[in-house]
Order: sequence, then C-alpha cells, then structure tokens
Amino acid sequence: MDALLDTGAIALLLAATVRLAVPVGFAALGGVIAERSGVYNVGLEGMILLGALGAAAGTLATGSPIAGCVVGVALGVAGGLLLGLLSITFHVNQLVAGIAINLLSAGLTAFLARGLIASLFGSSSVAGFSQVRLPGLAELPVIGSALFTQDPLAYALMVLTVLVAFVVYRTHAGLRLRAAGENPRAADSAGVNVTQVRFTALAMSGAFAALGGCHLVLSQIYMFSEGMSAGKGFIALAAVILGRWHPVGAVAAALFFGLCEALQLRLQFSNPNVPYQIFLILPYAASLLVLVWFFGRSRQPAAAGQVYERESR
Amino acid sequence: MQVVGETLGIETGYSEKVHQPDHVESLSDYARRGFTHVIGHGGEFQDAVERVAARFPDTRFIVTNGLRARDNITTADFYFSQPAYLLGFLAGRFTKTGKVGLVQAQQFKFTNDTLAGFEAGFKSARPDGTVFSTWTGDWEDVAKGKEAALTQIGQGADIVWPTMDSATQGALQAVRENGAKAFGLYYDAISKWPDIILQSSILDVKALIVSLLTTAKAEGLVGKNYKFDLTQPDSVRLGSYHPDIAPDIVGEIESLKARITSGDLVIEPA
Repeated sequence: MDALLDTGAIALLLAATVRLAVPVGFAALGGVIAERSGVYNVGLEGMILLGALGAAAGTLATGSPIAGCVVGVALGVAGGLLLGLLSITFHVNQLVAGIAINLLSAGLTAFLARGLIASLFGSSSVAGFSQVRLPGLAELPVIGSALFTQDPLAYALMVLTVLVAFVVYRTHAGLRLRAAGENPRAADSAGVNVTQVRFTALAMSGAFAALGGCHLVLSQIYMFSEGMSAGKGFIALAAVILGRWHPVGAVAAALFFGLCEALQLRLQFSNPNVPYQIFLILPYAASLLVLVWFFGRSRQPAAAGQVYERESR
Repeated sequence: MQVVGETLGIETGYSEKVHQPDHVESLSDYARRGFTHVIGHGGEFQDAVERVAARFPDTRFIVTNGLRARDNITTADFYFSQPAYLLGFLAGRFTKTGKVGLVQAQQFKFTNDTLAGFEAGFKSARPDGTVFSTWTGDWEDVAKGKEAALTQIGQGADIVWPTMDSATQGALQAVRENGAKAFGLYYDAISKWPDIILQSSILDVKALIVSLLTTAKAEGLVGKNYKFDLTQPDSVRLGSYHPDIAPDIVGEIESLKARITSGDLVIEPA
C-alpha cells in the first residue's frame, strides 16, 4: 500500500482515473440528456462503437482527427435518431429499441471495419490527439498533471459537462427538456413540441456517446478494434442513476468508476495473494453500495420509458 | 476449415460464433449429418461435447483446449508453458530494470500455464527480478488493456506481455508510447509492431487441426489428449527476434529450445 501514498503515485492514479472515465463520462452525459427528455437510451453502448468507427474512418480518410470526430459524432447522431424513430415514432419499447441498436452497431461496425477500413485505407492505425498541457494549471501539485495534462477531448468533456448542466437547469430549452421528461402532457398543453424535444435530445445523446468512442480511438488506442466499447455504455447507464440524472453528478459517477478501475489495477500489485476477482468486482460493489445509500433519495424523470401519444388520454 | 479440407482431401463444414446455449444442438447437427469427426474449438465446448458424444458413439469428437478425454472424445492443446519459458528467459536477459509484466484477462489453464512458464524462465535468467501479473477480467476492453500495461510500466516494468484478444492492442499502444518492449502471441507480432516486439510465441491453431486430422486420416484418433509442443514447430514455435537482441542471447534461447525439444529440460505446467 505504501506505493499508493506518495504524491507521484497519486498523480499517476488520478491521471489513469481521468483516462478511464472520459469515455464513460461522455456516454453518461448522453444518457442524462436522453432520460431527462423521457427516453431511456440503452443504445449508448452501440453509439460509442459507432462513434469509434466513425472517428477511425474519418481520420483515415482525411488525416485529421478533428474530421474524424465530426464523422464519429455524425454516426452517433444517426444512432440517436434511429432510436427516436423506433421508440418515439413507432412506439417500440425503449429498452428493446436500445438493445436492437447495440446489436446492430456491434455487427455493423465489425463488418465495416473488416471490409472497408482494411481494404480502403490499407492501414488501421490513425493519427490522433496528443496531450496538451494547460500552462499554469498543469504546474499544480498532484492534480495538475492528472487533470491538466490531458487530450483535447478530456478538456471538452469538462467544458461540456458544465455547459449541459447550465442548459438543462438555467435555460428555456432545458426547461422544455425536463418538462418533456417529467410531464409531457402538461408540457404539450403549454406549447412544447414533445416529439421534437425528444428527437433533439436523442440526437445529442448519440453525439455525446459517440464522442466517448472518439476518445477511445483518437486519444487512447489510435485504431478501431471490434467491440472496443466493452460495456462502457452500460456502465454509463449506471453512472446516470448514481449521478441522480444530473450532468455533473453523472460525470462525477463516471470518475468514481474510473477511480475504482485504476485503483483495482494497482491493488493487484500490492496484494498479489488476494484473488484478483475481488478487485475486479470493486467498481460494481462500490456502485451497488452507493445506490443502496441513495435509495429513495433519487427519482428518475417521471415520464422516462413511457410512450407519449398526443391523441390518447 | 476449407484449407484443411483441400489439404487432406476431405469434406468439411463449419459454423462460427455459436453461443454456448447452442453448442449441443450445433454439435449434434454435424454428427447427424454424418460427419465422422466433429470439432468443438475451445474448452468451453467440453460439457456440450460430453453430452452429445454419448448419443453418437460412432462419431469422434475433438475439443481443442479440452479438459477430459475419453472413448470417442479427443482433446488437444498447446504446451503453453514451453514457449512462455523461452520468452521469460529472454525477458530476464533483456530487461534493464529487472521488472517485467504479464497482462492477462482471466485465470484458467492457458493463462496459468503461461504465467508459470514465463516466471520459471525469467527467474532462471534473472533470479532477483520481479514478474508483475495483472488480470483485467476483460478480453476486448482496449482502454483497460492499455491502462493495465501503463500501470506495470509505471511500476518499472520495461517488458510487458499482453495475452488478451483485442485488448492486447491497447497494451501494445501503452508499450509503444513509453519506449518499453513487448512480446506477441499467436502470430509473429513483429510484423505489425516492428519497433516494440522482441519475440512472439506462435500458437498456430490451423496447423494443429491439420496435424490432428492428418493423424485421424492415417491411423485414427483415440480418446486421449494430444499435446502440441515445440517438437511440432508447425503448431508451436517462436517468431522472429528483434534486431536489438544480442546474438549471444539468441544463442542461449536456441540452445534452451533444443534442450526442451530433446526432453532434457522439462517445463512443468502450472
């Protein structure tokens, strides 16, 4: 345990925490927006994959990681709109529609990666973002190197989290979003176009999840690999609940999961005789405990999961 | 399978990505259709094969990485710890920090044998060194694979051997970013990662199946485990050496390999 206590090790631990948390954090932000509008986005996992594939293909085609992000986000938006089409327009159960999108994305991205990326571009490794030290802030002890020596997408997550929180709680657009998720009938009678709000929210939700995939490809691995979302979309769904449907809370929950994972990889070293499975369940055990702790004190948006039909009573 | 069929002049068929609940049905289907040999590729087929084999006594079932062979069930696996021993020895000779690491997904026979062989080889070359072992619990999570390798490098490891599936790419990326070195698995990984791969443990499943079915065609298989080791270089061998490895170390590895294949040096599995 001694290795964990000196400041250098803590800085490394925090930096690992942030790296592991960024993709989950983006997806969790997407999850908050979707659920605030009244639609569960179980398809986050698939949208991360779509974003990752788009980032790789876009960057390979143009040579620019920014263009890669744009393509990735566009695919994520498409995924979000597809979820809207299924669940809002065709009244498919939201959970079923989300799972369908996950299955579709897993198969589609694997097929496209094997077929297109390999044959069109020849190479699979892409140029990505490099770390940017923020002058001044990066010099802070311990947290400086952890938080302010990151890649541009990690900074983007910090800014977007604050921005989303502001929009959701302090603007008319945010009020319409929350109204659509709490009481769509009342919102409708007040002149809010619930269908439009939900479609917009799902498009944004897909875009955020896709940014998580972009981070995996452009800031961490510099290539696309099949199934690289590896359950992060589902962890993000847990982060949404743990963060009590608040953007800052959800991203904080993602950081908490990241911390557990980073800690887990280190604890295996200092305690080689303890079965490693104990450490692997650490993030999940911790989140279960926290959920029990918060039980009754958090409430999901009242209309989440329900189909809204204007004509029915 | 097509290659196998053409090489041996036999009729073949295959199904891929059959999930565990469908194993019994899929295996029975091939047996009913009159295939004389049915292969379940991977130890996860063991239970399904045992159920189906009882119903089709005239069909020979083969489980790769299987655990229990009997009557009409043949199992086959690689002698994982042999190439792992050689890579461990190479790591012990090459490391400057005296610390090297293995990043693996889950504990089971293959990974335990790999760890045991690697540690034994490493200790014989560098008795005072340390082998880190990290279990990630995930074969595909590239981000976690990278983070696990970064952690080992952060603790001073200068050689990391990832043995996961896609997640290996993340670990190799971490190695590349930090100027460390790595080992490959299954194929000669230096072709894809020329700057960092020192050597690879090549385990060729295709060659294993061809060899097994050649035996089946010539003399028939019996209900036992067929172990493929360094004496069958088609299936188990080392890859290419990185040019940075000194010739005398290469010589040492080659003579160790000769001692293993002659039976003079026995590497105990875990």
